[in-house]
Amino acid sequence: MMATAVPPEFGPDAGGRLKGVTVIKPIIYGNVARHFGKKREEDGHTHQWTVYVKPYNNEDMSGYVKKVHFKLHDSYSNPNRVHTKPPYEVTETGWGEFEIVIKIYFHDPNERPVTLYHILKLFHQGTDMALSKKTLVSEFYEEIVFQDPTQYMQHLLNNVQPITMGTHKHETDFEEKKVKSLQNILNAKAKIKSEITDVKEKLKVAKETIAKFKEEISKAQSGNMAESPSLV
Amino acid sequence: MGDVQDILGLERPPTPELTKEAILGSSDKLKKKQMQMSTPKVSKRPEGMPREVFALLCNDSKGVPPVFPTDTGQGYKQMKAKLGMRKVRPWKWMPFTNPARTDGAVFHHWRRVADEGKEYPFAKFNKKVPVPTYTDDEYNQHLQAQGWTREETNHLIDLAKRFDLRFLVMRDRWDKEKFSERSVEDLKERYYSVRTILGKVKGTSSADVKPYGFDADHERRRKEQLKRLYERTQKEIEEEQTLVTEYRRIEARKKERDKKTQDLQKLITAADNQSESRRIEKKLPKKKLQQQLARPRIDSVTVESTGIKFPDMKGSGVSVRSQRMKMPTNVGQKKIKGVEQLLQELGVESNPMPTEEICNHFNELRSDMVLLHELKTAYSTCEFELQTLRHQYEALCPGKVIDIPMTSEGQPGSSTETDGGKLKTNLAEIIDVVGSPGTPTSSHLN
Repeated sequence: MMATAVPPEFGPDAGGRLKGVTVIKPIIYGNVARHFGKKREEDGHTHQWTVYVKPYNNEDMSGYVKKVHFKLHDSYSNPNRVHTKPPYEVTETGWGEFEIVIKIYFHDPNERPVTLYHILKLFHQGTDMALSKKTLVSEFYEEIVFQDPTQYMQHLLNNVQPITMGTHKHETDFEEKKVKSLQNILNAKAKIKSEITDVKEKLKVAKETIAKFKEEISKAQSGNMAESPSLV
Repeated sequence: MGDVQDILGLERPPTPELTKEAILGSSDKLKKKQMQMSTPKVSKRPEGMPREVFALLCNDSKGVPPVFPTDTGQGYKQMKAKLGMRKVRPWKWMPFTNPARTDGAVFHHWRRVADEGKEYPFAKFNKKVPVPTYTDDEYNQHLQAQGWTREETNHLIDLAKRFDLRFLVMRDRWDKEKFSERSVEDLKERYYSVRTILGKVKGTSSADVKPYGFDADHERRRKEQLKRLYERTQKEIEEEQTLVTEYRRIEARKKERDKKTQDLQKLITAADNQSESRRIEKKLPKKKLQQQLARPRIDSVTVESTGIKFPDMKGSGVSVRSQRMKMPTNVGQKKIKGVEQLLQELGVESNPMPTEEICNHFNELRSDMVLLHELKTAYSTCEFELQTLRHQYEALCPGKVIDIPMTSEGQPGSSTETDGGKLKTNLAEIIDVVGSPGTPTSSHLN
């Protein structure tokens, strides 16, 4: 490993961390699944599936990831699958869905591993049997946020190699989805906002009216006491 | 040791006879111990005594048992009385006189020989209350009083002497044939005034007579009050009870109303602040996107006090972004449910892609939803109060109407009821409008 000169301002006083630095590494995790078309005789398995973690951008994650640990269901013979090199994926066969715990460890032991939870998906939504022949994809976008990374970690994060010379593509078009989601949320936000302004306005008027009523009532009460009929 | 033996079910050595002496040392020793209390002595637990019992008797810090022996007898078991350690003191049948008697009668009784010739021991209880006396001169000069004759006063002093100032008895024995009826307070008032005046006149001669100010009026009122309290009927008591509870209820309601008004004020301030802070914040995200790496640290989520406070995740270390969209645990189930429902109505997926921008907006959206919910609740409370006030007002001055100005859709002059109804439908419409456009359902969810 190449030795990096540690700038003086990041000495031990800073806890070895680069304060105020944030590095984001977007990733994709999830699974694909394919139906055999029939139940397998010997073990009753119906699907072949692959669970994976891959970089969202075209870069080699092994530059900063030490290992990825997939914890499968206990009914598998060796449920703990560890990968130190990409592709970080486990291909298995099975008949049921379960939660897979994915733990990502980093090269710098000072950075604690992060944990992802993925529900392995085998079955298409709905009971459309014709669809079930197709490969099913259930994958999610996630961002690993390195807040105040260590000097060493930042060096690793900033020096990643591209993983492929070709185009790096995903099953799901996350860019489009991102735009859509954001627009959706912004629309909803605007609506809620206008409603808040609306209710707030009403509330103000109501409060003023209450104050007015109270005033009139106290006036009326004192008026009654003084036997003077003049009101309003 | 005893405990362990008990647990193991072992046979214990026969417990020696337990006496208080065994525990505390003999009574003589105890006395000595009390005398030399300054020297702390560690008491040793007697053989066979359970630890808990011993702990009750002696704790280590003091050394003196917290339980003080109440008798110096022979311990837990009633032993035979110990007799005859001292010489017998003989008794004798002898005569005595009681100085309280004026006739000098002689009676006999048993007494210790040693006490022969001593005064009758109960003589000291023969106390006399000093009752003032006066001469004719003194009476004429100082004691004349409205409504009291000389004879009556004499009679009073006589009774006071005879019955030792027991005024209740004195009133009972009052000569009602000769004199008019007098209350206890009358008697007391006259007696103490006489005493006080005489005390002043005679000065030093009656130093033992302390002036006693008797407030007869106060006494009369006091007794009258007690009498009334005592003579209340069941019905009156019940009425009082209901009045008291009613009063408490009114107080409680008032408090609640005040609190609500305060909360409302807070809410409105929160809503105001929020819209301001948003304006400032809006400019930030674009800048952030430009400097993807090594950006300055900015609190990603600033959420106002009302609404939801999401953790800002500023701590060093690695985390996944979706963690920031987790509902904080301090948000109530009801609120979470409401937010989820509203999200569904608005067609927003409950787990959007966790980019920084989406994360921030999503959190703000949900916080706004909670705020909106709170505002709506406050508004309906206000509406209710308005109704109550309107009824109150109508009851006070029938036939008169105060305009209830509502927001744009409220017509002036219309009653609150219709206004309220209208507003509700309006709100519903807003939600409908919001929910109806073909919102793209997320492929991500399914």
